[in-house]
Amino acid sequence: MPEKQVPAESEDFQDPLQNYEPKEYSDPLEKALAEKSVAEIQFRPVAVATPDTPIHKAVEQLASLQVASLLIEEDGRLVGVFSDRDVLEKVALGYEQLKDNPVSEVMTKDPAFVYESDSSAAALCVMAVLGFRHVPVIDVKHKALGIISPQRVTAFLRKHLNG
Amino acid sequence: MKMGLYENMRTETVGRLALRDPVVVQENATIRDAVTAMRKNKLGCAIVLDRNRVPQGLFPESELTQLLSKNSAVVNEPISKHLKKDWPTVKITDPIARVLDALESRNVRFLIVVNEDGQLAGLTGQKGLMEYVAEHFPGQVNVQRIGGNPYPVDREGA
Repeated sequence: MPEKQVPAESEDFQDPLQNYEPKEYSDPLEKALAEKSVAEIQFRPVAVATPDTPIHKAVEQLASLQVASLLIEEDGRLVGVFSDRDVLEKVALGYEQLKDNPVSEVMTKDPAFVYESDSSAAALCVMAVLGFRHVPVIDVKHKALGIISPQRVTAFLRKHLNG
Repeated sequence: MKMGLYENMRTETVGRLALRDPVVVQENATIRDAVTAMRKNKLGCAIVLDRNRVPQGLFPESELTQLLSKNSAVVNEPISKHLKKDWPTVKITDPIARVLDALESRNVRFLIVVNEDGQLAGLTGQKGLMEYVAEHFPGQVNVQRIGGNPYPVDREGA
């Protein structure tokens, strides 16, 4: 049996990260935005409806649960969001005529979303830069796992502002 | 030297935030009038003022959803009947930290901004605060890759 080859000391494994210096942050909130994932902010369980839900049922669901948005799922995949803003923009003035129509007609389709492993800065980006107030959190199969509301982000900011 | 965000929030004032122009409606307006103005201005609330421009109350879009769920014809009712009269305000000279305190303690999305005489000066809220944070940390916030359809034709508005 051949003798096991032992590398010479100079051929030892060199860790490519041995000289890596983690980024230093000047502000505890900046560190949290970079290093904490959206899993820390998201709210569960989420309020969910299907695309064929009548608009009046979706409005009643928003009101009774006292939430500002419903995630609309079809076959376990997120396909839209129906929010207070959709009620204001698309529903309120024509409610009598629209209320029995499916919510898919008035929901926001293909909403911006984040993955659970994304940084919390991604959620803030959706709100502050893209202008959406409610950010669905999904898994790789596009199933909704949670939602991030502005209230949750406000609480996150409070928690991390002072380190 | 750049100060930390919390120090900035205690020294910079509400006037430093990007305040929104509020939607103002008359006391005798209907909810339909308010909704029309809110849609036009892409804003989620309307404010009623007295003759001295002092805010008398605020009508938020969340209240619209609550009302519609109970009465599909509610848009024809006077807004005065459904106004939230003890809505929190901040002064334009208050530190920005006060915005965070008020949003959190009152669990609201909007804050009415008034001047030293209590007259309406603007509107801010969660979105204004988040824009302020994003502005402070552009290297973290503005560079994110977002899934879905992140570039809508229209922003959702405040």
